[in-house]
Amino acid sequence: MRLLATTLIALLAAVASPLTAALEVGDKAPVFALPGLRPGKDGELVELADFKGKVVYVDFWASWCGPCVISAPLLNEMRNRLVQQGKPFEVVAINVDQDPEDGIDFLLDEPVEYLTVKDPKGMTPAGYEVKGMPTAFLLDSTGKIRLIHQGFKSSDIELIEAEVTKLLAELP
Amino acid sequence: MKPLKPLLTLALCGACVLLAGCAPVAAWERGTLAKSEMALDADPLDSALDNHVYFSKEASSGGNSASGGGCGCN
Repeated sequence: MRLLATTLIALLAAVASPLTAALEVGDKAPVFALPGLRPGKDGELVELADFKGKVVYVDFWASWCGPCVISAPLLNEMRNRLVQQGKPFEVVAINVDQDPEDGIDFLLDEPVEYLTVKDPKGMTPAGYEVKGMPTAFLLDSTGKIRLIHQGFKSSDIELIEAEVTKLLAELP
Repeated sequence: MKPLKPLLTLALCGACVLLAGCAPVAAWERGTLAKSEMALDADPLDSALDNHVYFSKEASSGGNSASGGGCGCN
């Protein structure tokens, strides 16, 4: 009986997903260097280091993700407004479609001005320990995570903008 | 207890083989699962209508995951 219990516990331990310490607010954002999604528009390679000194909104999205349809135009509007005001802010949207063509098609219907990159292998969302789609990480100018936002409904943009404004005000 | 041992071993081996198939699907890998044909309920509007016809005919609401508790008020 003891053997059975031990074996079962070992089996359950093996099957259970590994319990790792999740990324939290205050942690340093994992670095990434990913190819642009839209040829000729997003550039060859986009790195997190490119945005040093800026407030960055890193958004994980996919063409099949329902709330992403809502978030894309709202983020685009907020980003364009802030950039026009000369604020050091950028949105980097990481597409996780297994076929990046699906992401490009999505952006034909929902064109956005911000940078979009592709990670069909999902290495970056794994590094960021993304639990649901969409998930966004708001980073301050030092690359520290200041807000983790899961899911999206249209009223969320106010909360996000309030946080972005707060981080922009912290800048020297 | 003795004759049970081979059976137990077999069951454990079977469990090992079957449970190996249980793999968590990461959030960013759910593109295929998100397709409409993968939904248990392919057309929610159609099934809501079917459900309405069913409980109207049978005068039995609430037994088919419908809203309401069988009060007959909907």
